[in-house]
Amino acid sequence: MDAELDREVAQLFSREAHFLDRKQWKQWLELFCEDAEYWAPAWASEEELTADPGNELSLIYLRGRGGLEDRVYRIEARDSLASVPLDRTAHVVGSVLVHRVDDNGIVEASSSWITHVFSVRGTATLGGYSDYALRRVDGALRIAQKRVVLIDDRLEIPVDVYHL
Amino acid sequence: MGTNESSLNIAALIDDRAGEGIFRVRKDIYTDPALYALEIKRIFEGGWVFLCHESQIRSPGDYFSTHVGRQPVFVLRQEDGSLRAFLNVCPHRGSILLPFRQGRVKGSINCRFHGWAFGPDGRCEGITFERAGGYPGGRADKRHFDLTPLAHLETYRGFVFGSLSPAAGPLEEHLGSTRAFIDLFVDQSPDGIEVLRGSSTYVCHHNWKMQVENVPDGYHVPTVHRIFGTTMAQRQLRPGYDGLLQTETGRISGSVKNGCYDLGRGHMLLWADRASPEAAPLYPSTAQIEKAFPGEKAHWMLRRGRNLMVFPNLVLNDLASTHLRTHRPLGPDRTEVTVWCIAPVGESREARYARLRKFEDFFLLTGMATSDDLVSLNIVHEGALADARPWIDFQRGIATLVPGADEAARELGVNPASSNSSWTHETPYHGLYRHWLRRLTATE
Repeated sequence: MDAELDREVAQLFSREAHFLDRKQWKQWLELFCEDAEYWAPAWASEEELTADPGNELSLIYLRGRGGLEDRVYRIEARDSLASVPLDRTAHVVGSVLVHRVDDNGIVEASSSWITHVFSVRGTATLGGYSDYALRRVDGALRIAQKRVVLIDDRLEIPVDVYHL
Repeated sequence: MGTNESSLNIAALIDDRAGEGIFRVRKDIYTDPALYALEIKRIFEGGWVFLCHESQIRSPGDYFSTHVGRQPVFVLRQEDGSLRAFLNVCPHRGSILLPFRQGRVKGSINCRFHGWAFGPDGRCEGITFERAGGYPGGRADKRHFDLTPLAHLETYRGFVFGSLSPAAGPLEEHLGSTRAFIDLFVDQSPDGIEVLRGSSTYVCHHNWKMQVENVPDGYHVPTVHRIFGTTMAQRQLRPGYDGLLQTETGRISGSVKNGCYDLGRGHMLLWADRASPEAAPLYPSTAQIEKAFPGEKAHWMLRRGRNLMVFPNLVLNDLASTHLRTHRPLGPDRTEVTVWCIAPVGESREARYARLRKFEDFFLLTGMATSDDLVSLNIVHEGALADARPWIDFQRGIATLVPGADEAARELGVNPASSNSSWTHETPYHGLYRHWLRRLTATE
């Protein structure tokens, strides 16, 4: 395995968490490719996730970074009840694995994560795991695909992209 | 308020002087534990409640488990295609029988605690170690241990309802004029509608009636969902959000014709014309629907968004997307909500894709509107505890209320208890709380 790539991927995931926790939205968005796909599948049953965004419900399914920019727009507009005041979050990302690099240089990697959330609306600990496809843009790895699984399926607080 | 039933003067909680321009409710209706216990008994466990949709239990052996009030129940498709519903509780020691929300029974239902077996018809078929069980007379009386059926189970056009109370009366009578509005969903495809795979469940920190009130509440939309409208407006400037992927926001600014109905028996409806019907996922079916339903019914289906509250626990919304929601009270200040996307069977891939994306944008706690609804209702519940100002007034629309049907209702052939000319009006709540009061105070 490539120790330098492992380090680079772990750094990327740490930066993603860092920017979300510090609410540095612009820097967070820059980690994604323009055409990034962002997908949080819904649970189809106690044990199965939905698998087909074209025919089944997802929690979030966005094609293109613009969908994430919409979320940031809503947060920054200070006009969303669920986002004023903003929740405090602390992401802990671990179990980072680089699985393969395909012929086009796309890096497949995964992580597990826990986000502790505190807000006036309640305190919660959310957990899950994510699969990524990473692409090198101008020398740096960027997120081309993120599939984030939220294991919690009986939510007590609104969950936005900055909780995941 | 007191903590036992007898100390409650329930009638005094609803100040119904609509003729004098006053209709108000005491905040205790949202917060009082004794009243909550009575609601569970009289409303949720004392009459018809929504259970599930038939598309969730298509084949023999398929089951759907849910609750009627506090009681866990399941609905099971029989070999002959009929449905039966039972308490999801072993008659032996009370263990929950079926552990999944949806699943399939193969052969018999086996209790996971002591292994007792029950047929799909609810008959007790096997008692583990029966002969060695030392039962009176050497054998257990199996008929004594049959599953407990619901008193009533009926379906209206795919929507399955049940009642624990034998006194519930016919389902059609309970549904009344909501049937015409349920039809507006079911008739969207010649093959009906189906619940799509995947759901979301969340726990609200507010009283269940706030979920109910929210359904015909157009008044919060230009405030709470203003941010949804502006977010969608800036999204529209990017490529890729045209055609069916355009999100309709004309309703949010209140720029369209709209109104609301008290449908009787606690049922309510809000409607608003679509500012951009060509963006609705149903739009590609326009010709087919206009052919099948000439006249005003097609107009209602294609060009008018609707929120329907079927008392006490079924919500059907047809806005930018189509939404099935049910709620289950957990306490005076806790309500569990589950949402699904419902869709016409056989719609195009393009329409299905757009319907799902618009559902996710709006109708989820991970979305950009229901999340704001949840918080708005949670803070209303917080305010309900502030009984230094004890009354909530439902005055809006008192002066413009039309008894019976208005023109739009007549065109559809329905006869509401009352109609009103703006979705910002609060008169549907008059019917809601009159019905609520009747249910809680009726002599048993």
